[in-house]
Amino acid sequence: MIDEIIFEDVGLSFGGREIFKSVSLKIKAGRVIGIVGQNGAGKSTFLKLAAKIIQPDTGEIKIHDEKFLSRAEILHRIAAVTPEMKIYDDLTAEENLNFFSRLRGKILTAEKIFELGGRVGLDFEIFGRERVKNFSTGMRQRLKFLILLSVDAEILLLDEPTANLDDAGKKIFLAEIKNAAQSGKTVLLATNDKLDAEACDEIIKLPII
Amino acid sequence: MKLSNSRLFEQGAAIFRKDFLIGLRRRASFAAMAMFALTSLAALSLATRGEILEPKILAALLWVVIFFAASAGISGTFDDEETAGTLSTLKLYAAPQAVLFGKMFFTFASLAALIIFLLPIFLVLFDCGVEEIFLLVTTIFFGAVGISSAGTLTAALTTSATVKGGLFPILLFPVTLPIFLPAIRLTEFAFAGGECGAEFLILMAIYDAILITAASILYDYLD
Repeated sequence: MIDEIIFEDVGLSFGGREIFKSVSLKIKAGRVIGIVGQNGAGKSTFLKLAAKIIQPDTGEIKIHDEKFLSRAEILHRIAAVTPEMKIYDDLTAEENLNFFSRLRGKILTAEKIFELGGRVGLDFEIFGRERVKNFSTGMRQRLKFLILLSVDAEILLLDEPTANLDDAGKKIFLAEIKNAAQSGKTVLLATNDKLDAEACDEIIKLPII
Repeated sequence: MKLSNSRLFEQGAAIFRKDFLIGLRRRASFAAMAMFALTSLAALSLATRGEILEPKILAALLWVVIFFAASAGISGTFDDEETAGTLSTLKLYAAPQAVLFGKMFFTFASLAALIIFLLPIFLVLFDCGVEEIFLLVTTIFFGAVGISSAGTLTAALTTSATVKGGLFPILLFPVTLPIFLPAIRLTEFAFAGGECGAEFLILMAIYDAILITAASILYDYLD
């Protein structure tokens, strides 16, 4: 299990604009880490850096379990809910869930699907066989979150995950990520939502350089 | 920790199954390939007005139709996912090699279905007999493998290009040319009968293997 993500003197620029300059910090597993900052501060970029999806221009990011892990080793231990990551409109909710779970080697039984659906407030009895293109934005978000829970990843990247959820959905979501963190997962939550930020165990505030 | 071959195979099979389900539901790429093939065949048939064409010409016509019909369908292999925003999700959850081979196998299956649909119509419209059916099937198999592997890699390469519509056939044609030349020759032999050099088949098989290996190596660098 991953125990620590270490940023060592990390710098990154996009299109001539410096986003991060000499960032050094440690992120411990088992806690919900909130990443906050104004629009353009680099919250989404920070998540991608932390999971080694993108590489810094300077410095190094180290991810550690019993040893330091390479980028290839880390990628299949990540799951994410981000605005740019979409699910398949032409598949049903159940097909989407089964597809992404299978990619991570998990075979879900019908009972497990109903149980997971119940946890995020998505009734698979009613919506399981419906194509995702008929879903509202909030229901899609719940399904994306359900996929994230089903694959049992070690690093959870969450970018504005409660943006389209109603209050009940937000509460369920925040309770689930707390549980995930308590089970030893590394949870990174980029948000501008006050309720989300309050649920975090630790906050990293990103300034605009 | 690298993914085992069985996990890669499972991921590739899941991607193939997903593409097949979506392909059946949307039918856009199947329809594009089938309509292009039918339109070209009808135009060629009307232009030749029932003339009996030489096997050499018939073989070339068959592969021209296959190439352009395949281009119409294959170009969307990655593009549809990129447009829908699902490609980044897929790349996060699956290994790059599984994405490549799942899509390559789906492209091959689509192309095989197209050829099964197209070939009988071609043979009837051009009143063309087949002397060596086994040779024809083998040639089409190796040809389809080559077009699928080159097409899938080219589709991945052109996904982020702004002029992908024009770029795809331009990039695909030179890569597939070494498949078409022996394929046309072998198809001519299959239509006309007679002695045929096995070296053409061996050449196609070797080139297919090179294409698949190169695609597998190069795809890792496209991330």
